[in-house]
Amino acid sequence: MPQYQELPCGGQVLDIDTALKDGILGGALEAGDAAAGDAGKQPVELRKMMDELDAAGDGGGDEVVPAVFICPISLEPMVDPVTLCTGQTYERANISRWLALGHRTCPTTMQELWDDALTPNATLRQLIAAWFSRRYTRFKKRSADFHGRAADLVHGLRGTAVPRRQPLKGQARVAALRELRSLATTHQSVTKAIAEAGGVALLTSLLGPFTSHAVGSEAVAILVSGVPLDADAKAALMQPAKVSLVVDMLNEGAADTKINCVRLIRILMDEKGFRPETVASLSLLVGVMRLIRDKRHPDGVSSGLELLNSICAVHRPARSMIVSIGAVSQLVELLPELATECVEPALDILDALSAVPEGRTALKDCPRTIPNAVRLLMRVSEPCTRRALSMLWTVCRMAPEECAPAAVEAGLAAKLLLVIQSGCAPELKQKASELLKLCRLNYTDTLFISKCKLTRTIQ
Amino acid sequence: MMSVLTCVIESMGSSCSRPHSLNEAEAAENAKSADIDRRILQETKAEQHIHKLLLLGAGESGKSTIFKQIKLLFQTGFDEAELRSYTSVIHANVYQAVKILYDGAKELAQVESDSSKYVLSPDTEVLSIYIEIGEKLSEIGGRLDYPLLDKELVQDIRKLWQDPAIQETYSRGSILQLPDCAQYFMENLERLAEVDYIPTKEDVLHARVRTNGVVETQFSPLGESKRGGEVYRLYDVGGQRNERRKWIHLFEGVDAVIFCAAISEYDQMLFEDETKNRMMETKELFDWVLKQRCFEKTSFMLFLNKFDIFERKIQKVPLSVCEWFKDYQPTAPGKQEVEHAYEFVKKKFEELYFQSSKPDRVDRVFKIYRTTALDQKLVKKTFKLIDESMRRSREGS
Repeated sequence: MPQYQELPCGGQVLDIDTALKDGILGGALEAGDAAAGDAGKQPVELRKMMDELDAAGDGGGDEVVPAVFICPISLEPMVDPVTLCTGQTYERANISRWLALGHRTCPTTMQELWDDALTPNATLRQLIAAWFSRRYTRFKKRSADFHGRAADLVHGLRGTAVPRRQPLKGQARVAALRELRSLATTHQSVTKAIAEAGGVALLTSLLGPFTSHAVGSEAVAILVSGVPLDADAKAALMQPAKVSLVVDMLNEGAADTKINCVRLIRILMDEKGFRPETVASLSLLVGVMRLIRDKRHPDGVSSGLELLNSICAVHRPARSMIVSIGAVSQLVELLPELATECVEPALDILDALSAVPEGRTALKDCPRTIPNAVRLLMRVSEPCTRRALSMLWTVCRMAPEECAPAAVEAGLAAKLLLVIQSGCAPELKQKASELLKLCRLNYTDTLFISKCKLTRTIQ
Repeated sequence: MMSVLTCVIESMGSSCSRPHSLNEAEAAENAKSADIDRRILQETKAEQHIHKLLLLGAGESGKSTIFKQIKLLFQTGFDEAELRSYTSVIHANVYQAVKILYDGAKELAQVESDSSKYVLSPDTEVLSIYIEIGEKLSEIGGRLDYPLLDKELVQDIRKLWQDPAIQETYSRGSILQLPDCAQYFMENLERLAEVDYIPTKEDVLHARVRTNGVVETQFSPLGESKRGGEVYRLYDVGGQRNERRKWIHLFEGVDAVIFCAAISEYDQMLFEDETKNRMMETKELFDWVLKQRCFEKTSFMLFLNKFDIFERKIQKVPLSVCEWFKDYQPTAPGKQEVEHAYEFVKKKFEELYFQSSKPDRVDRVFKIYRTTALDQKLVKKTFKLIDESMRRSREGS
């Protein structure tokens, strides 16, 4: 029952809180709401609240801003509503801009204005302030709830809860970690609370040679969700036993676990004290290659390629290891099917691998190198063309008699002409013409020209 | 013509009522064959829940110890009768150890330049007593049938064991074929000789018998797999060279191979061929097993075993004495060195695995576990992981 205040003049004013509570202005009823009627809230503070709610991407999805609070011009909630003589209300800044442009009509009703006055709509402002401040307090409370919940979970896992209890084990532990993970991934701010409760040390200690994958996958997921990791934490995570577990999960885990493991390794690689030998593990490289070859999970493919690329850059001896597991031919055969954004990192890797002799030999021996590289010329981007060209150059230089004809058969000549005639960098064109010269060595001019099937290439 | 024949046949039938019994016989045959079919179907279904695990590895790599641990962890363990059955084995181990040490000291005294180290006792009187004891024990140890240990024999053995020459010989144990359990039993001599001695679980785990042929056991792991009715069948084999020709009969239908490699024996020679380094033998054996055609899809669990002995040995004997590890560079001494050395050995095995596995086999599950087969808790944890891993690959496929 709405509470009506009797005014001296005999009217009735609806108490703001009640109006909100009874859902007259929309918004669900919640028990225990703090009294939101701080009618004197300044627009500046209101703006701050609105921005914070926006930034948090507040998942209180059932709460839509009531239509009457929205300025018809900007379609944003109003902070300083003013009413025109026509009775329509707008945000002061917006309507002032409208009028300053010389208009003398009401934007919504199109009526001509007989009065320039902008009357501040105090009632509406109070309502908007009250509504937002209520929503804000609820948001803050929920946040605090999440933070509190996360901290509780961490303490439960550590055994440092009040009152003192044994640290969780077994299924209870996995369930707690799972909940912590979902909190951390849906609400960014929670990660700080986790760190403050000692979560980082806990998660690191959970990773070891006897950790089950159930526990390990949740722990890694939380660690990569944005929890701040200081240098000590990263150093602890780089211990061989822990890295072994991460590599294991990279090989055998579910798709999202594999991707999280890749992310964790990248985070560790970025650290200053990172020892490159940590990634010189055949099991790791095999696992990453398996991830790259798994077409069902494109996210995995791109993150795997990025990781492999960093490894090649950071640790030169790893390159021969990568070649030894057959990565060259696997990558070459993948090239036609890769998504556009993955082609460049893949070519980067092949480029790095061709810096070692085994890599060059593997490139030459793979039958698909030439056709796939030719296909990529002028297809994706200039850096890709440069890499593909460099690969072809390497291969043709190694064994000109067998590779050059194969390249020409694959339509290389026409593509090279295209490169030369294009707007690419001069060094690229130079390389292309050198390669062209190399390829035409065994052909007479007429035969060669017939091989430059230009029309086919342009198609 | 036809009618005549039919008459004959009919009359034949009526005279000895054969069609009747023919039908009966046929029906019985059909019933039997249906019964057999049903049984085959039942057994095939049951087989799906049985997962075959094979313990492979060179001699003395710890396979049988793992086998005993499984019995202790997942079955009813050893009852008193079984424990007692190990008494003679344990006593035999003691005699064998003493004989090896005594004979070894004699040989080292002749062969080594610093021979005085290996001469028992400088005191000539004591020396003659010791020699008498030593010869007696050596003779016992050379028999096929051993007497039970008694207080007197234990006193004699203890005298020898405490002699510096024997201790010196013991420190050279890696060039003799001294079993790893020697020290443990020597330290517990008095208990072993008690009249009502019943071997403890520890004693049984340490007892050393060369496995002959194949031993099999069946067990259900704990936890989720048990609820699913999954059952593991574990096969243990002899590891010496002459036993390995029996392995091939077990290779079909194996879900996982547990390959035991004792990483502490990088400075020891084979029992069956004293010119061959044990680690090199393990390396070649692992390579051979990996390349077997029937193991294309089999999971491989590599147990780098005897880590406790490895830990101690690394401080005294560098890894590089083994040819396979000759490029090992030690770092800081102490605990870090142990970890570093272990990681090096692990990497070597990893390298070997990937070299020996053709690209089409790279998808099989391969995991390395650091184990000390004598440590029950560790073995239990390790098996929990193995069970989890096998369950994952079953669900994944």
